[in-house]
Amino acid sequence: MLCERHKNAVIEAAANDAALSGELREHLAECASCRAAFAEEQSLFAAIDSSLHAAANVEVPTSLLPRVRARLDEAAASRLGWVRPLVFAFAGVALALVVALMARPHRAGRQEVAKQGPAGAPASMATAANTNREKTSSESTPIAAIPVNHSHTSRDSTSSHSAASSNPEVLVPPDEREGLALLVASLNEHRDLAAALLVHVPEKKDLSIDVERLQIDALEIKPLDGRETEALDSGGEKR
Amino acid sequence: MQELVLDQPVSRARSELVREAAQADARREFEERLAECGPLAFRVARGVLRNTADAEDVAQEALLRAYKSFERLRDRNRFRGWLVRISFRLALDRLRSAKRREQRDMLWSEPAHLAPSATAEEVAASNQFQGHLERALDELPEKLRLVLLLSAMEGHTIGEIAAMVGVPLGTVKSRIFLARKKLAEKLRCYANVIRMR
Repeated sequence: MLCERHKNAVIEAAANDAALSGELREHLAECASCRAAFAEEQSLFAAIDSSLHAAANVEVPTSLLPRVRARLDEAAASRLGWVRPLVFAFAGVALALVVALMARPHRAGRQEVAKQGPAGAPASMATAANTNREKTSSESTPIAAIPVNHSHTSRDSTSSHSAASSNPEVLVPPDEREGLALLVASLNEHRDLAAALLVHVPEKKDLSIDVERLQIDALEIKPLDGRETEALDSGGEKR
Repeated sequence: MQELVLDQPVSRARSELVREAAQADARREFEERLAECGPLAFRVARGVLRNTADAEDVAQEALLRAYKSFERLRDRNRFRGWLVRISFRLALDRLRSAKRREQRDMLWSEPAHLAPSATAEEVAASNQFQGHLERALDELPEKLRLVLLLSAMEGHTIGEIAAMVGVPLGTVKSRIFLARKKLAEKLRCYANVIRMR
């Protein structure tokens, strides 16, 4: 039976597994029951510790790490498997969008050309177009499809050519599209001006002019004299 | 504007490549830690569940979760403590499941889980005591239980446990002391069993 006075000290000493205090050591040396109780406590804690140690240090199954690695591989594959199709799908949609954006102005141009076909064109313009068609097929386009005058065309200018045209297409930046649309609209309103623009102007070639050589007679220089000088002057004028 | 649209898939592909490279690095680093920390996760789970199959499942789950969040872990030195807490939490969750508990109780009676004993009496006594200890452990507060388990594992100093659990050294010591004392209070009535050992 534990002495009440030393009960807690005995239990705590056994639980702490630390060195006993002087007073408790003396008591244990004198009291057999406390000594026995202390021994029981020590064996109890030893049993707890050994059971805990056994439970906490069990052998790890050899299958653990390979199974974990397999699951990590699965997780990585599923993660990439989810991301990659999404990226490709997004890229595909973006590409389709770009193609659609690029194709849209041409379609509009074609529709405009179709509207302003031969039936709708005025006679003057048709005449001008017929005249030009004989010379070059590329110049026979209606107003809405004015071909690019390459001599004046910068990279910013453009023209929407006829649907079947194989001429190079020039992209128009958004800020210049409005200006081009205004030009086309004004040309549509003033057909005569448009027709005049479409008329082929033959290139003028500079002809060489033959100029006769200047014939100068030998001059006779005489001493200055009033009459002779007049005579000389009048002679010069004659020539 | 069109140029921007065209540029997006390229930048996305580049960022995807960078991300994949980061993932590969993280995987490599995680693999290095796996050999050391895998057993730790298992033992923590096993200490709570006392069933090898369940503990293995929990350890796998804990390691998988740790891997998924590994890239976000800023201080990689705290990985062990982080994993221990994940394992402990998952093991507790599983322990609370009544179905699993029944299964665990059945499996635990298998002698393969017991420490080798010399005689049949000792085996019986050890079995009994182990059973009582398990119940007493289950009744311990979670904080005390985790620290006690870690202190019972080989190769962990008090300082390492403090770092893993994220509490001061003195707190770890007092928690171990309290846990052992509580266990002793519950198991003192089985002193005759201990004397038999």
